[in-house]
Amino acid sequence: VAQLIWDGLFVGSFYALIALGYSMVYGIIKLLNFAHGDIYMLGAFIGFAALTSLGGIPASLSIGALLVVMLLSMALTGTAGVIIERLAYRPLRGAPRLAVLITAVGVSFSLEYGISAIAGPNPKAFPVRLEGNVFDLIGARVSLPQIILILIAAVLMILLNFYIQSTSTGRAMRSIALDRNASLLMGINVNQVITRTFFIGSALAGAAGVMAGAYYGKIDFLMGFIIGLKAFTAAVIGGIGNIRGAMLGGLVLGFVEAFGSEWFGGQWRDVFAFAVLILFLTLRPTGILGERVTERV
Amino acid sequence: MKSGKRGTILVGIATAVLLTTSACSGGLLGGGGDGAAGGDASGDSGPIKIGMVIPISGSSAPTGEYMKNGAQLAIDEINADGGVLGRQLELDVEDEACDAQQSVAGANKAVSNGVVVSVGGYCSGATLPTIPIFQKAGIPMIIPAANSQDLVNQGAENVFMINGTGKQQSTAALTFIKKEGFETVAIVDDNTSYSKDINTESRAQIEEDGSAEVVLSTSVTAGESDYSAVVRDIMGANPALVYWTGYYQEGGLIINQLKNAGFAGQVMVADGSVDPSLSQIAGAGAEGVFATMTQTPDTLEGAEDWIANYKKAFSSDPGPYSTQSYDAVRLAAEAIDKAESTDGDDIIKALEDIDGFQMFSGPLKFTPEHTLSSGGFVILVVKDGKFVLEDDLS
Repeated sequence: VAQLIWDGLFVGSFYALIALGYSMVYGIIKLLNFAHGDIYMLGAFIGFAALTSLGGIPASLSIGALLVVMLLSMALTGTAGVIIERLAYRPLRGAPRLAVLITAVGVSFSLEYGISAIAGPNPKAFPVRLEGNVFDLIGARVSLPQIILILIAAVLMILLNFYIQSTSTGRAMRSIALDRNASLLMGINVNQVITRTFFIGSALAGAAGVMAGAYYGKIDFLMGFIIGLKAFTAAVIGGIGNIRGAMLGGLVLGFVEAFGSEWFGGQWRDVFAFAVLILFLTLRPTGILGERVTERV
Repeated sequence: MKSGKRGTILVGIATAVLLTTSACSGGLLGGGGDGAAGGDASGDSGPIKIGMVIPISGSSAPTGEYMKNGAQLAIDEINADGGVLGRQLELDVEDEACDAQQSVAGANKAVSNGVVVSVGGYCSGATLPTIPIFQKAGIPMIIPAANSQDLVNQGAENVFMINGTGKQQSTAALTFIKKEGFETVAIVDDNTSYSKDINTESRAQIEEDGSAEVVLSTSVTAGESDYSAVVRDIMGANPALVYWTGYYQEGGLIINQLKNAGFAGQVMVADGSVDPSLSQIAGAGAEGVFATMTQTPDTLEGAEDWIANYKKAFSSDPGPYSTQSYDAVRLAAEAIDKAESTDGDDIIKALEDIDGFQMFSGPLKFTPEHTLSSGGFVILVVKDGKFVLEDDLS
């Protein structure tokens, strides 16, 4: 059981990092940004390009180099997120919700096949591989890289939580989520706040991309698709639009998958996980931490 | 879309530039331009079109590239020798993206472009729905790579498979399992038609034989990164051998994660996982991994010249199914030549009559169900990151 909890926690923290971007963007402009999973892929490829250009890195420095590359990748994916918002979503802000949704799907395909055209469709082996001592922790096989990655994810999420709760930009984000027009009237620079939201959400996904590349060792241009769907699911489970909900949803999905595959066998894992999702949403459509939307007349 | 756009641009430019464009873009233009005229497949002027529906996009795109190049190499060689029936050959490549909808669209496009033989088919799940399309149009299919038993179970008279079937591959696996004395086996597939086929087939054969026990038979979702669930299952069942029947991307990850989890047994993979990238993805864990595979250029003796030609033409190494695609085109040319006609029924008859045609997998003679009489499967092993021959099972 300890192994299941550990595996669930590990996968769940990846889901959570990506789910945050979905949830933040949805919370603030009610857009399901289906290109978000591909930002994760983009982050992995930026990390790959940076590490390859650095050349051979001695194993002792690999963690340090990885952190630097991760920050670089976060900056670039964040910028990419901002550009995507500016070019693809902002011109459509007044358009029907469906138009923006389809645009997001379009952005997703553009990113996937753009990267495929530039970097080639072959999967790439990541130049730095996190491999470390495996030890036994109350019955679970735990490796050092796993602990490091979970810690990085936790630190990023704590920082984000602080940013949202305690800074003026964070307050502005929350107020826009509540009522954009009122925020505008209160003198909040809505466009700037939305830009920041995209930057932060995309940077988190980029970080997850580099982490996944370094841990699993393989990246390819479609790697963001399935995990994007899973993260979206996690965001909905947690209550889409709610930051803490997204973190919680990621972990819950990780646990549900781990236990589901243990109880029913691996091939039933997704069936079980998504059956839980359906059941859960029929009982509580707003997700774990989602607030009940009151109908405004 | 692509060919249309390119066509418009090229029309705009002086035609002199066109003269120097490669055979490949000529094919694209020809495909778009002669649609109406080329629809009459039995017309006896102009190039003979060979259709190839393969993955050009999607996760199997790398293999599609290997296949396209292999086929193009054969076409270039045949054309340099004067073509077939006095006419040049031309390759018409359509994308299947390893997806049933795309492959149907691709096959329809190939048919309307007037191809006389199809030499495509990599993903079994995507190749299956193209069979009725080619069958209706009376176009023979020489399938170089896709090898699910389902492809021939339909009994379509136009389908010929020059890769060993899932059944033959499973038999090779069983032979090796018995030879090495593995007592417990776990079989894992990735839920695709090809992969599941080998899983069920191997399981049935091993259980019937009784010399080994299948302790686990399960599936994973392709396209993910984390396979800790199946790794946990395998560790729990603790088999002497894990047989992975899916493709190399997931295979590499599973091998790596098994090794990190401290798995002590052996791993064997099926032919979809035989790719240079497997050991890059799996890292050190790939050493000593076995594979059931037909001979590749790397393991064949006397293929050095062929590899050199390939490298010269495409400045890259050949990969899995380059040889099969090369052979498929040569076989198609041979059949058209023997039939002295581009009519589908005549070509099918000629293919059935072929006996002893030399291919990479050995002399060819089709069984009544249009598969190879012997699968030609051998066992490879990863040594220093490369697949080398371990056992030819003879």
